[in-house]
Amino acid sequence: MSKPKVATDWMAGCAGCHMSLLDIDERLLQVLELIDLRASPITDLKEADESGVVVGVLEGGINNTANEHQAKLMRSRCKILVALGDCAVFGGVPAMRNFFTIEESLRRAYIETESTVDGFIPTDPELAVPTRVRAVSEVVLVDIHVPGCPPSADVIFHVLSELAQGRIPEIKDENLHWH
Amino acid sequence: MYQLKIDDKEIEVPEGTTVLKAAGMAGIEIPTLCNHPALEPYGGCRLCLVEIEGARTLQPACTLPVSDKMVIKTQTEKVKDARKFILSMIFSERNHFCPYCQVSGSDCELQNAAYREGMTHWPIQPNWQPYPVDASHPYFVLEHNRCILCRRCVRACAELVGNFTLGMEERGANTLLVADLGVPLGSSSCISCGVCVQICPTGALIDRWSAYRGQEKDVSSTKTICLGCSIGCGIEVLHRDNNLIKINGDWDAEISGGVLCDVGRFIPMDEKRNRLVTPMVRKDGALKAVTWDEALSVVMENFKPFINKKENGIAAIASTRLPADVLYYYKQIFEEILGSNMVTSTEEGRYTKVLSEFAEDKGPFESKLSEIHKADTIMTIGLDLTKDHQVAGFFIKRLIPAGTKVIPVSYESSGMDAFTPHSMIIERNQDLAFIQALDAALTGVDSSQFAEKSGISTQEITEIAKLLDSSKNLVIVYGTDFEAKQKRETVQSLLKLAKKLNAKLISPKGKANSLAAEQLKLNKPFNVNGHNAAYVALGDEDPSQAIIKKLENVPFLVVQASYHSALTAKADVVLPVTNWLEQSGYYITCDGQVQLANKSLQSPVDVKTNKEVVLSIADRLKIIVNPVWDKAVKLEKSVVEIE
Repeated sequence: MSKPKVATDWMAGCAGCHMSLLDIDERLLQVLELIDLRASPITDLKEADESGVVVGVLEGGINNTANEHQAKLMRSRCKILVALGDCAVFGGVPAMRNFFTIEESLRRAYIETESTVDGFIPTDPELAVPTRVRAVSEVVLVDIHVPGCPPSADVIFHVLSELAQGRIPEIKDENLHWH
Repeated sequence: MYQLKIDDKEIEVPEGTTVLKAAGMAGIEIPTLCNHPALEPYGGCRLCLVEIEGARTLQPACTLPVSDKMVIKTQTEKVKDARKFILSMIFSERNHFCPYCQVSGSDCELQNAAYREGMTHWPIQPNWQPYPVDASHPYFVLEHNRCILCRRCVRACAELVGNFTLGMEERGANTLLVADLGVPLGSSSCISCGVCVQICPTGALIDRWSAYRGQEKDVSSTKTICLGCSIGCGIEVLHRDNNLIKINGDWDAEISGGVLCDVGRFIPMDEKRNRLVTPMVRKDGALKAVTWDEALSVVMENFKPFINKKENGIAAIASTRLPADVLYYYKQIFEEILGSNMVTSTEEGRYTKVLSEFAEDKGPFESKLSEIHKADTIMTIGLDLTKDHQVAGFFIKRLIPAGTKVIPVSYESSGMDAFTPHSMIIERNQDLAFIQALDAALTGVDSSQFAEKSGISTQEITEIAKLLDSSKNLVIVYGTDFEAKQKRETVQSLLKLAKKLNAKLISPKGKANSLAAEQLKLNKPFNVNGHNAAYVALGDEDPSQAIIKKLENVPFLVVQASYHSALTAKADVVLPVTNWLEQSGYYITCDGQVQLANKSLQSPVDVKTNKEVVLSIADRLKIIVNPVWDKAVKLEKSVVEIE
């Protein structure tokens, strides 16, 4: 049997969950023996194979139209979609801005920040349009939620190794607890 | 007794038991959020829903009393689904994102409940409505976005403290926890006892000092007693790497049952005094750091010529915050060995001496504090329980909704007035006249002369007398802050009144070891006339201006203290000692219960305990002190039975 293909991507997050993925250290070699890591921010491929992958992993919430596109693309190309980390599962830290209007957030970020001189809000039509920050599950169907900020390396190893061996990982007890 | 079946476990429980308690007895844990063992069941959060055979819907276990032959199921799919649904609703109502919450990790009961149900996420997204944050209070922050509206704080404020500051306004999603009628907490009627902070299951009420300094799983905890006053409340001291993190009330404490006032919970956190860390001796006009050996030698050298010199000898005064054993050693050394005629305590018998005089003929005439819990009428006189001994005030205030009549007698408006219609504001120093007026009214003779003197109308006196007379469990909580010349007579007439009314008497006295100091007869007024040396065992107490003044002209002054003060600045020898958290020792509460205070923190290296210092002085004098302090405090008749 060929190794199951896995693709990962990040959206409105801090890359911390991917750092935590790398933190599984030498066990990464064991994982790579079991899976075929395709597109990922840590490889050269940028999009999941058109022919499809078995597992898609998304880090970060969805905070603009580009993220929406990314999430939908991943969903359409994977069989099992994993929401990795609190931003993907709940919206996380970026979702703090949902307590304000988008205009307020943009003004704060591009004009009012203390270090900004002559700031302006970019309006280039090529840029993605900001939206309310959403959990991945608000936009596409998610199969597995892995909470944590970030989820610990052990939890990520558990999830990947279970998936690689054809099982749906169960996240409970110690693996579920905040550390 | 009722026969029940819970998850196929048969159990017999008394009538009136709730399903939640019955399950607990059977060893089955049902998750809860709004429920708390110290509070009345409320049934607000619905997390404890269980299936009852024959019932149409799921039922809340916390409020449902069992019935005979009841069959209860706590682990069915229906129950588990309901729990997850309820938790999802709570999580999505406000901002319950764990990454930026102070209690996330182990202290959040909402997070723990979700873990217990194995929830990896919640399916309903919040509506992102921001709620205000109230940071107006000096000791804690109210973060409405983390509030789950369980009303534990509201109930604790009412049921445990009787202060009724917290309440709810609006309905549904707009429901908001408010202080009084919606004022900022910092300018509300809040008395800063912090029971609400301790009882909050989420991060909605956070204590400023302990926030982000470690959670229950990171910190160590020591059970001990509060030394703020003589009530003897149980506390848990949370510490991490020898730093004081937080003080919590001990829910298992027999005396206080978990409540604490600001003196016990917050004031010790705000310690700003500078610590004494090494012995010092005055050389060429300035205090210089020396070894313990040198410091004690200087003390002995200067004491030697004045041993047994009575009024020209060594005056000694000790704090009533020191442990009873230490006070006994101190008494033996200064009174018996050094032959001083002036050995007393910082309280100088102010709250206790007059009581002991009556106890000499009558024996113990005061009752236990717990009598308050049974009272249907309570009169307080000669003290303000909203300022000192506040927990006794909580015990009283929380009885008012159930119908207990409370009559605070004072010279001016006090914190009690808002809670009772029976406040008696009398003329200053006219307690005696007030008591005499009541006595006359009870006897049925003309009370107008006394009434007029006390500033209360005859009609009111008659009404209060009637109220007292008709009570079944009358408790009089009294202090001795009466006019000095009439102190004895006032107490005497109060005792007479109590006897006539068959009332229980309770006096909260002074500091933590007020009663122990009294029993050891460390109760003289402190006077330094002609004494050639003085020894002040101050411990961690603040020296009063009066004592500093009296010691101004003493030729040789030794101060044994934890902190720098105006007194240590004047001392010839300074001996640094542990503070209350760094030593163990025995304390006798105002109602005669002996309790052990446990050491929670390590002291700085060159600091000794009060006991070590007193014993090393005994050592220098080549004497062995009698260690049986517990017999010594019972030698004289006490105002209340000492156990």
